[in-house]
Amino acid sequence: MKIMICPVNGPRPVSEFFCWGEIRPMPDPDTCSDDEWADYVFNRNGAPGVKKEWWCHSASNTWFIVERDTEKDVVLRTYLYGEAA
Amino acid sequence: MNVNAPVLLSPVHAALLARNPVWSEAGVTPPAVLGFDGNDAQRAAAVGIADLSHLPRAGAKGPGTADWLAAMGLPVPLQPNSWNQLPDGGLIARLGLTEFLVEGDASITDTLMQTDRAAGVYPVLRQDASFALCGARVNELLLQTCNVDFRTLDAEPSKLILTSMAGVGVTILYTRTFTHPCYRLWCDGTYGLYLWDTLVGIAEELGGGCIGLNALR
Repeated sequence: MKIMICPVNGPRPVSEFFCWGEIRPMPDPDTCSDDEWADYVFNRNGAPGVKKEWWCHSASNTWFIVERDTEKDVVLRTYLYGEAA
Repeated sequence: MNVNAPVLLSPVHAALLARNPVWSEAGVTPPAVLGFDGNDAQRAAAVGIADLSHLPRAGAKGPGTADWLAAMGLPVPLQPNSWNQLPDGGLIARLGLTEFLVEGDASITDTLMQTDRAAGVYPVLRQDASFALCGARVNELLLQTCNVDFRTLDAEPSKLILTSMAGVGVTILYTRTFTHPCYRLWCDGTYGLYLWDTLVGIAEELGGGCIGLNALR
């Protein structure tokens, strides 16, 4: 059983969590170019590596950030939004 | 009892009704089950599951909630995922960082629902299904339905756990409020019937089953 550490609820089986995908900062639509906006809307980065993702502990609806190596599928760090990145 | 009467009923009312329960005295709403047959105590000794959905409860969340509840004289738990006993026998639970569940006497929950809320306090509708699990083999039932080792709760009496049980998000704590030490469990009311049927089925396999309030207290 894979274990993930929720910042509030502690270590739990990964089946209690779901992933909401990579954190993707939105460019300012008033100042960015059309190419930058189209890239943000349509393209996703599928290259493996260390990424920051939104995850949720579904039993308590706790949303938090996971730093995960998507190549090795290893969770490096979990923390609440607003805590030191 | 007239089931068509416009009173608040337990989410598992239909399942209770099918087992011919002995209800609490008329006029108490929502009604509580006092017992089922003469064997409630035997089932409670093995694995007993009682429906406590009738207990009055209130919920609130938001960054100003802890201060708002403390100003009303309630013993607010300081740690996330912990709970405190209320003087009248009810409880106040801190679910996560800023959400609270209060269960106990209707005078307290009614006050919470009717008092003007401070800034940063938002009401939470609590229409939970709430059960109590007791008995010598209750941990076998928990092991079959859940991934958390609940025996640690006995050593940390103020702790509560939010986890997934048989696929349903639940809040669980361990209490010695009743004569029988038991696990209290809350889940969304719409999952109540499924969870009740699942837990009663496993409890019956373990030599127990559903019990009424009289076997618990």
